[in-house]
Amino acid sequence: MVSESFIEKSDQTSTHCYKIDSLCCDDLLIKTGMINFLVEYIWLVPLYGLLGAVFSLPWCFGFIRKTGPRPAAYINIFMTLLSFIHDGVVFSHIWQQPTQSIIFPWFSIADLDLSLAIEISPVSVGALQLVTGISLLAQVFALGYMEKDWAIARFFGLMGFFEAALGGIALSDSLLLSYGLLELLTLSTYLLVGFWYAQPLVVTAARDAFLTKRVGDILLLMGIVALSSDGAGLTFSQLQNWAQTSPLPPFTITLIGLALIAGPIGKCAQFPLNLWLDEGMEGPSPASIMRNSIVVSAGAYVLIKLEPVFNLSPVVTDALIIIGAITAIGGSLIALAQIDLKRTLSHSTSAYLGLVFIAVGLGHVNIAFLILFTHGVAKALLFMSAGSIILTTSGQNITELGGIGSKMPCTTLAYMTGSAGIIALLPLGMLTTFSSWFNGNLKVTWWLLIILLIVNLVNAVNFTRVFRLVFLGKSQPKTKRAPEVPWQMAIPMVSLTIITLLAPFLTLNYSLSSSTSSSMIVTYSLPLIMVSGLIGCLIGAFIPLRRGWNRPIQKSLRVIQDLLAYDFYLDKIYEVTVVAFISNLAQFTTWCDRYVIDGVVNLVSLVTVFSGNTLKYNTSGQSQFYILTIIIGVSLLIWSILSGQWQNIINFWSLF
Amino acid sequence: MLSLFIWIPIIISIIICFLPSFKNTLIYRNIALITAGIIVILNIILGFNFQTDIVGLQFSESFIWLSWLGLGYDLGIDGLSFPLLCLNSLLTLIAVYITPKDIQRPRFYYGMMLLLSGGVSGAFLAQNLLLFFLFYEIEIVPLYFLIAVWGGAKRGYAAMKFLLYTALSGFLVLISFLGLVWLSGESTFAFEPLKSHSLTVNSQILLLIPLLIGLFIKIPIFPFHTWLPDAHVEASTPVSVLLAGVLLKLGTYGLLRFGIGFFRDAWVVCAPYLAILAGISALYGACCAIAQKDMKKVVAYSSIAHMAYVLLAAAATTRLSINASILQMVSHGLISGMLFILVGIVYKKTGSRDVDYLRGLLNPEKGLPITGSLIIVAVMASSGIPGMVGFISEFLVFRGSFPIFPIPTLLCLVGTGLTAVYFLLMVNKVFFGRLTPELSNLPKVLWSERIPALFLAFLIVIFGLQPNLMTRWSETEATAILYGNQQSITYKN
Repeated sequence: MVSESFIEKSDQTSTHCYKIDSLCCDDLLIKTGMINFLVEYIWLVPLYGLLGAVFSLPWCFGFIRKTGPRPAAYINIFMTLLSFIHDGVVFSHIWQQPTQSIIFPWFSIADLDLSLAIEISPVSVGALQLVTGISLLAQVFALGYMEKDWAIARFFGLMGFFEAALGGIALSDSLLLSYGLLELLTLSTYLLVGFWYAQPLVVTAARDAFLTKRVGDILLLMGIVALSSDGAGLTFSQLQNWAQTSPLPPFTITLIGLALIAGPIGKCAQFPLNLWLDEGMEGPSPASIMRNSIVVSAGAYVLIKLEPVFNLSPVVTDALIIIGAITAIGGSLIALAQIDLKRTLSHSTSAYLGLVFIAVGLGHVNIAFLILFTHGVAKALLFMSAGSIILTTSGQNITELGGIGSKMPCTTLAYMTGSAGIIALLPLGMLTTFSSWFNGNLKVTWWLLIILLIVNLVNAVNFTRVFRLVFLGKSQPKTKRAPEVPWQMAIPMVSLTIITLLAPFLTLNYSLSSSTSSSMIVTYSLPLIMVSGLIGCLIGAFIPLRRGWNRPIQKSLRVIQDLLAYDFYLDKIYEVTVVAFISNLAQFTTWCDRYVIDGVVNLVSLVTVFSGNTLKYNTSGQSQFYILTIIIGVSLLIWSILSGQWQNIINFWSLF
Repeated sequence: MLSLFIWIPIIISIIICFLPSFKNTLIYRNIALITAGIIVILNIILGFNFQTDIVGLQFSESFIWLSWLGLGYDLGIDGLSFPLLCLNSLLTLIAVYITPKDIQRPRFYYGMMLLLSGGVSGAFLAQNLLLFFLFYEIEIVPLYFLIAVWGGAKRGYAAMKFLLYTALSGFLVLISFLGLVWLSGESTFAFEPLKSHSLTVNSQILLLIPLLIGLFIKIPIFPFHTWLPDAHVEASTPVSVLLAGVLLKLGTYGLLRFGIGFFRDAWVVCAPYLAILAGISALYGACCAIAQKDMKKVVAYSSIAHMAYVLLAAAATTRLSINASILQMVSHGLISGMLFILVGIVYKKTGSRDVDYLRGLLNPEKGLPITGSLIIVAVMASSGIPGMVGFISEFLVFRGSFPIFPIPTLLCLVGTGLTAVYFLLMVNKVFFGRLTPELSNLPKVLWSERIPALFLAFLIVIFGLQPNLMTRWSETEATAILYGNQQSITYKN
């Protein structure tokens, strides 16, 4: 794929400045050389995952049956471990290093030069570390979760592919490369959601996931084509320069910006392209871990990188904020009424990604990264605990669960830590993130605070509600026997619990920086956020909860519950608008094709000397040649009659 | 050298037809396979000797045939013909290979196959308008028989429709050629002398319109397309592969070679309308494909949509878009060839192509898992997933055309989005879900049946990752097509 590569040194002196002391031991030299090598070949990391996927093909298709499908899983886990280590070494050595970029001249034709670039910076390598880390944990988790599945090789192969695409997005510094990888992500989401393809719900879920994301991707492609046609280079740094001297009229740039945000809207499951994430819960749980933590983040990551372009048009930034706000509040509310364990969590994913959209719209890029990180880690943990519960109880309807708390301590702890990490109440990830948002360095407004308060409160209610239903109370029939999960699932869960608890330390250096201005909003924001979390938990702890399929008697309450439980009837709305439009159009064009266009043709053939009967029944082969000769003969005749008159005919036409 | 591409298949085809009837019918098949193999090898040799940095014809052959008619036997190859010639020899080999071994009337069948291949090569290599026309017409005969003799239930109707349409197409193309020679006052039909004449714009338009309609029938472009779905549905799998993979390219080849090459001024005038027509055709094909119940019809309508991108790129006439249109021709040839092969396997094993009847074919034990996976690959390539050749060719088409015709390009982009819709609906219905009991005793797919599709998948991925391998052949020539004899075109926008 890569014909040749060269390193563009942004700073000649400092790239190789790994502090080679005057001692100059051989050891040190070798070590430095190796690290340099690892840094320069960081782009191999995504390829490890891809290689794992390729290696598991023989097991996927059953060419190797003797060993069972397990070796494919081990190969993939090994490859992910390899990429985790490679990346970890690089990550520990490039702190304080300037950003490097490697450019691969991929393809150039005519006046178009398509070079792919990757970026080696603490942010990109850190993102890669997060990807490989969570992928590693999810795969080990899957070893336990998918133990009895016959297609485990296919699953791990797809996970490897998934990880490769995600890792590529983390490193990519080129819009075209990112676009390509986002598309591959769409493809692998389709295949992973459709993993159990024999179930009818899975089939529609996979289709919807692909098509919804595809809508976003096509709009994104339109944006890329337009950007590239207007002379902007397609690496993010070129785009940044281009944005500063943008020659385009505001209307065009607004359209381009709107097209560019459409891709991330689809990927991050934002309104109005949010339903696929919810439906995607039909897929296997380990894939849901990836999807809800890092896949949605991948879309946001591209969004953050494109931020300079959005700044050119206020309409686009407003659109980002409005979409983010609608999804943040709407998603939180929908989650309240869900009774499927995974769906309660997935809607809150949309909601927090909505906050990321708001942050990008306001230009607070660092905050966006922080939310992505803290939310990603905590949500992965929540999905692991949900996966454990589903495996143990074989059910995911929360009204049928209960009393798991004492029986599965590790899972319970994971759920508690995960939800605490997402709700801003205890000094864990999200609270420190919010505090750094409101520490006075950034321009914040009251409405932002209000949105955060609502989101925090509603999510607190939701998580507490789910906790009470699932972990507290009396044992239900399904949870009578609920042993703790095997070690393959417990170890990732415990490790991620620890990471979630440590997350605030990683975000601390942002929040501790002194505030330059102290306004009312800055002073009161943090206490208000904590109070909202507390109130949410209290409401969640004391609202009456029903088991089974009970619906409220009061009509108003029932309407509201239905409205939320059915996702504001969005799928119904799509069904009667977009889907109906396309399918009717398809029916109409097919009808036209059959009766109008083909009808005219058949009519002509009837009217001509070659009647319809000849057309239908004559297959002997002889008379067709006769017809062919007639056609050619007649044409020659007409032409020879007209041959003397060409000039006159042309002159006649030229008069017009 | 170039004559071999035409005459080896044609002579062998005549020989096969007149061979005595052997008991062992595989002999005919082997002769045809060897012939097709020789052509592929010749093509590889040609590729090694082909110089990519030279503008204009290479390996030219020329002698005067009928001087009073202006018909000369002029052959030559350049960057535009070369990729298409390769496509033709490759797909002919594949088509012969995937023919069932127990086919009826094998002598006649293989004879027609080879005749078709020779005729198409001749059309791509001809450097004389009348010679091109001859090959363009010759190719109709074997194809007509291939559909009418070995086709499905309604083959007579489909073959007749194909015949009438294509005969009309040839007639219109001939009108345009004759008119061109007449008006320019030349006594020869050779390309080069004719290119140097500059007619008035009006007369160019008058000649361009019949040419365009003739070629639109062949490509096919809405509203001249209705013969294609019928022909595909009735034709057997190998014939469909050739029809979609190679024969449609004759039309787009004609657009680039004659439309832009001879009627440059008129082309610029007509281009905006052509672009709009391309947009409509892409959307129309996609919409029709959504509602189809027959897998082959879905693929056939997707061909209509994808060939419209070639027209869009040709209309835009930028350096990039001309390159893109050549690339799109090749990529469509590979992808649609692969799709037809795979649909053919499904049909052969299940006896049906009805999307409402087929279900759950991905089943690993009783279904067709590898065929299903390959179809998913082909479908993704067709809907433009990066990493495969469909993406880069479509991206170049859109990127090349957008600066000139933004609205038609956006229409075509919507068409790409719809590609995913119809193919996904098809894959979901046919391959996902639970295998129905009546489908659960399917015959095994042999490796020998998978090899052609695997090979095409390999090419699709390789060219997708490294498109230079394909574009290097045509890059200089694309510029030459555009600027011709150092004349530059001035654009309106």
